[in-house]
Amino acid sequence: MPGLRHWPYTIPLRIRSLFFRNRVERELNEEFQFHFDRQVEAGLAQGMTPDEARAAAGRAFGPIPLRNEECRDTRGFNFIDNLAQDLRYAARILRKNPSFTFAVILALSLGIGVNTVAFTLWKAMLARRLDARNPGEMVNLARVPKFGSTGVDFGDISFSYPDYEAYQDSVDSFSGVVAFTTERLRLSNAGGVVSQRTSTAESPLGRFGLLSAGASNAEFASVYVVSENYFKVLGVAALRGRTFDSLTIPELVASPSALIGENYWQRRFARDPAVLGKTIRLNGVAVTVIGITPHDFVGTGVVVPDFWLPVSLEPLIHGYPDWLHSNGIRPYRLFARLAPGASIGQAQSGMTLVARRRRSGSDKPATAFIWPGSPLPLPLNSYHGLKLTILLIMLAAGIVLIVACANVGSLQLARVRSRRNELHTRLSLGASRRRVIRQLLTESALLGLLAGGAALLFTWALMKISLNFFIGALPAEDGAIVLHVTPDLEIFAWVFVISLVAGILFGLAPAMETSRQALAPGAGASTVRFRRFQDFFLGAQVALSLVLTIAGSMFVRGAIHSLGMETGYESKRVISLDFQFPEASKYAASRKAALVRELRARIAVIPGVAAITSARPPDANVFRTAAVSLDKNAQSILHYSYVQANYFETLGVPLLLGRGFQSQAGEPERSIILSESAARQLWPGENPVGHSLRLGVTDEQYHGADELIADGPAYQVIGMVRDIRGFEFDGSDSRQIYLPLSEDGLQDHPLLIRTRSDPAKVIRATDALVSSIDPDMVTTASTLDEMLRQTGPFIASSLAAAIASALGLLGLLLASMGIYGTVGYIVVLRTREVGIRIAVGAQKHNIVGLILCESTRPVIAGLLVGILLAAATSYLLRGLLYGLKAIDGLASFAEMALLFLAIAILAAWIPARRATRVDPVVTLRYE
Amino acid sequence: MSKPSDLVQGTLDLLLLKLLALEPLHGWAIGIRLKQVSGDILQVSDGSLYPALHKLEQQGWIKAEWRSTENNRRAKFYSLTRPGRAHLAKEAANWDRLATAINGVVRLTEV
Repeated sequence: MPGLRHWPYTIPLRIRSLFFRNRVERELNEEFQFHFDRQVEAGLAQGMTPDEARAAAGRAFGPIPLRNEECRDTRGFNFIDNLAQDLRYAARILRKNPSFTFAVILALSLGIGVNTVAFTLWKAMLARRLDARNPGEMVNLARVPKFGSTGVDFGDISFSYPDYEAYQDSVDSFSGVVAFTTERLRLSNAGGVVSQRTSTAESPLGRFGLLSAGASNAEFASVYVVSENYFKVLGVAALRGRTFDSLTIPELVASPSALIGENYWQRRFARDPAVLGKTIRLNGVAVTVIGITPHDFVGTGVVVPDFWLPVSLEPLIHGYPDWLHSNGIRPYRLFARLAPGASIGQAQSGMTLVARRRRSGSDKPATAFIWPGSPLPLPLNSYHGLKLTILLIMLAAGIVLIVACANVGSLQLARVRSRRNELHTRLSLGASRRRVIRQLLTESALLGLLAGGAALLFTWALMKISLNFFIGALPAEDGAIVLHVTPDLEIFAWVFVISLVAGILFGLAPAMETSRQALAPGAGASTVRFRRFQDFFLGAQVALSLVLTIAGSMFVRGAIHSLGMETGYESKRVISLDFQFPEASKYAASRKAALVRELRARIAVIPGVAAITSARPPDANVFRTAAVSLDKNAQSILHYSYVQANYFETLGVPLLLGRGFQSQAGEPERSIILSESAARQLWPGENPVGHSLRLGVTDEQYHGADELIADGPAYQVIGMVRDIRGFEFDGSDSRQIYLPLSEDGLQDHPLLIRTRSDPAKVIRATDALVSSIDPDMVTTASTLDEMLRQTGPFIASSLAAAIASALGLLGLLLASMGIYGTVGYIVVLRTREVGIRIAVGAQKHNIVGLILCESTRPVIAGLLVGILLAAATSYLLRGLLYGLKAIDGLASFAEMALLFLAIAILAAWIPARRATRVDPVVTLRYE
Repeated sequence: MSKPSDLVQGTLDLLLLKLLALEPLHGWAIGIRLKQVSGDILQVSDGSLYPALHKLEQQGWIKAEWRSTENNRRAKFYSLTRPGRAHLAKEAANWDRLATAINGVVRLTEV
């Protein structure tokens, strides 16, 4: 293309060709007409008759459409013309087969939508950043026993206030360190528009029976307690008023201040500006509201709290003046912002130095562990069982996509055979092969685009529904979960491309193959290969569908099973009564003990109460210690708890060997009782009674794994009880050591009350009782069963079951649709064959039988493969789902397989029968 | 009209450009003029003429204009553009060189 000089001429022409096509076409025709007329005139002048002249002119000029085409070709925008034509043709074809089009679009949008939502939610919930400015600079801090230990524990992320001060001042790689913890404090003097006591039973979680409908006689607020520099380090300003960093610590203590969350302010005070400056009481401490945090601001947490308090008020809140100086009180999680240019490695070394300096002599040296900021307390690979659940859900979503693609693929394959004639006709009319292929490509692309559009809509809708479900799942009192999620376009693009490639190319390849054979009638060989390919596809589709639906049903049954799961103790008839003394400093220990004793005595005589003991509920036994048997040297880490003599009786846990604790005060010191699995661990195969072991620290506090050394006094085992289930996914806390609870420890433990009859009546009675003994005491009561439903494994299992069964249902729908459509379509294609067979004298029922056999063969093969795959899957899943055995539900495998087989048979039988009913002459002409 | 033998597309372009350099013509007139000027030796078929004309137009060497003919009918008249003139000069020079070279070989009486 020489030079720019000719552009003023070419560009206007191109524009004209593009935008004024009709006018250009007309001009072309006019030009040809002029030429034609002159030619005719010349002919007339030569003496021809008008007809001869016109015929000669026509011959000379050649076919006008061809000339048109040639000229159009020179214009260079033919591509767009052809594209437009292809699109229109494709649209017509798709409209002509509405069921095919609809099936493909539905399948693809379901597959794409489900996957996009699943992966987006995964990213949003687990790859969440902190709600701060420049969240990439924020990190989480932990202190682990040795470098590179995997599995960070809850003990490793808990810091004391002196810890916080040390790291704040001495580590250069941090430009700011903040401390953070969550509290649930009793709220009074609040007034306000809406009272907080809405029923928890109305939220979705409540409807699943997942929340304690326990009664409590006071209002609570969720509070985030944060260091004074929190908002400065996070880079967040107050919506109204001020944040803590505008005041010095002494000022904060002198006039206690708090912040209120905007969400709570809206909900409770209807955005009344008078809340600024208002004084409320949290746990009895008067605080003034000095500011409002922005809407949906969660900081380093996950949930929007009602209030924010500065750390300096902790001594007042808990009634413990030395709270901020004690090394043993470690409730805080620490986060930091990296200084500009600092790396995590540098920060880790810096923090390790400080950590080592802080350790007193006998403790093992600790190493810092820092990971990118996240509201989740532990780094992701510390959550063991949860990850597996999530992985499985992702897998299920992926399989839905694969089933969808298989659906589309086999539908396409089936359809191509029916279009063979059309393709041959077009080729013989003179279309170039390239042109035909281009048209097929356009058609596939159009289908893909339509499906993509539908998928986008579906994804958006599904995302909204899922989010509303999750956000509404927790009741307002726990703070509202904040999830700002839009469908992740990157993920969407990925999934879209995959499904395009998989689903649509399967239709393209055979079409290209077909077009290559131009007019050759001998397409027999490829038909056989084609048929086999198609059968394979159908079989794969069936197998995958079977696996998906079986996996889904397993999840559902797992959830149902865990609803009545074996805990090893009576949970429905035991009430846990937790009490709190309001301003702890007001009550001396002796007064508290007296109150508890009176409470116990009065509760014991309530009708319906069978037994009462002081202990923590079984799923709250989080404390662990080291244990070493005296005759061996290997150390084990076991859970422990303090219980009274009548604990096992109250919970219905049988004593298997030895004896229980004596209820009188004359219990020899240093006796313990073990659970079955603990005994098995320490002395496998032996009777543990009479053996002795050393324990580590048993002060019911969190200790990091490095502090657990069995260097305490020796204890003697006096009995063994059956295992009961705790709160761990894998049942590792069934290995329990039970220590006797002394009389003066009673006031620190909740009460467990065994009832003879309806627990609700007893709960109501205790309510009245507590108010009459001491109106300032705050109690919460719920049955152990209700509390169990709140534990991590149960909630995870239930939610996973809900999601998986939704996926399973979707998969079932998709699969059934796919099988019915494909098999039916294949049979319809054989209509002509049926006509021929009848015409040569075959019996109708023979034909139908033949077709049924041949159609169901690939289906049966697919079902067999599917059953094998499903059996393998269920074997893998059994570790995750409570109490599900591997071959559990073999019956349901068979059910599902039979269902699919029935659908396939039906899908084959109906069109086959219809084909035999029609007059052979008609079917022979059927295309 | 039959297709002129051995007439390459490029040569046809050269002929068309030269004709249009002398005066603006419409498609029919070009065919007539070519016949006249070449003494009936060179004939261009209608099937080749219009695509060639349109291609030259798309390339910017010639431009088109609708005018009335002597019979008061509308026809599309083509004429050279300024870049077209330059292109014509270049192509004509190329042709000269080529023709001279071929002549040189063909007229050889001895090796």
